[in-house]
Amino acid sequence: MWYKIMVVADWFGEMAERYRLVRDFNKAAKNSFIAGIAPTLLEAKITKGDSAYRHAFSKWMSAGFRIKALSGRPLEKSELIEIGRVVLDNEELTRKLISLGWDTLEVHSNEGYNGAKWALKDYANIGGFLN
Amino acid sequence: MTQILLQIKSDSLAVATASSSNGLLSSTWFWIAIVELLIIIILLVRLKKKKTELAFSDLPKDKMKNAKSSSIDMDNLMNSINGSRDLYKELSKACHPDKFVNTEKQKIAEDIFQEISKDKRNFEKLLAHKERAKNELNINF
Repeated sequence: MWYKIMVVADWFGEMAERYRLVRDFNKAAKNSFIAGIAPTLLEAKITKGDSAYRHAFSKWMSAGFRIKALSGRPLEKSELIEIGRVVLDNEELTRKLISLGWDTLEVHSNEGYNGAKWALKDYANIGGFLN
Repeated sequence: MTQILLQIKSDSLAVATASSSNGLLSSTWFWIAIVELLIIIILLVRLKKKKTELAFSDLPKDKMKNAKSSSIDMDNLMNSINGSRDLYKELSKACHPDKFVNTEKQKIAEDIFQEISKDKRNFEKLLAHKERAKNELNINF
């Protein structure tokens, strides 16, 4: 009985942490856009993710971390890759995303049909230590 | 009468020996219990010591404690997305070791250039490398 209550509490705690991360990302993106530091407004969303990138801790139906760029023009592939690589190069963030149940990082702009996606587990340096 | 008195005396002697042997027995169990308690305490201390001597015990304790509640520096992430590319280009041009060939600063330039390449998508670290380049290589940006 107590064990089940603890499991439920853990589940809610983890969900809250997931939404907190997305909210922090959106807040920082919004602030940097308003301040004029960023030319594009970014927005993070939780999506289904790619089933080919699943790992042992993937959340069912909500394993994708999608970054949408409000650029006003179709972004080039190199620009999309640059945004994604900044997130992936931040090993602490990548590990946090994996531990909270995400397995796919997706980046796309609000115009055009270009998009890029990565398997998070390939970039977390799993089995190694952070510098 | 004397027979009865003798009987009572012998009975009281028997009771005294029985009670003394009982006391001895109980005190023996008492000491066994004490020894067992000591063994349990020693084992618990060893177990606790073993737990702290994991491979991770080399890591700083505050880092381990903060790992759970760590918050990602989102402002740095946004700056990295928007500004790290240009800053990296600027720094890699200015601090390229080829500019310092056959000078005493060549070694420092090589070191800074390596660091810049490693942190090419981290705005905050690139800013730190820029400061270092300013101080150690005397570059005016």
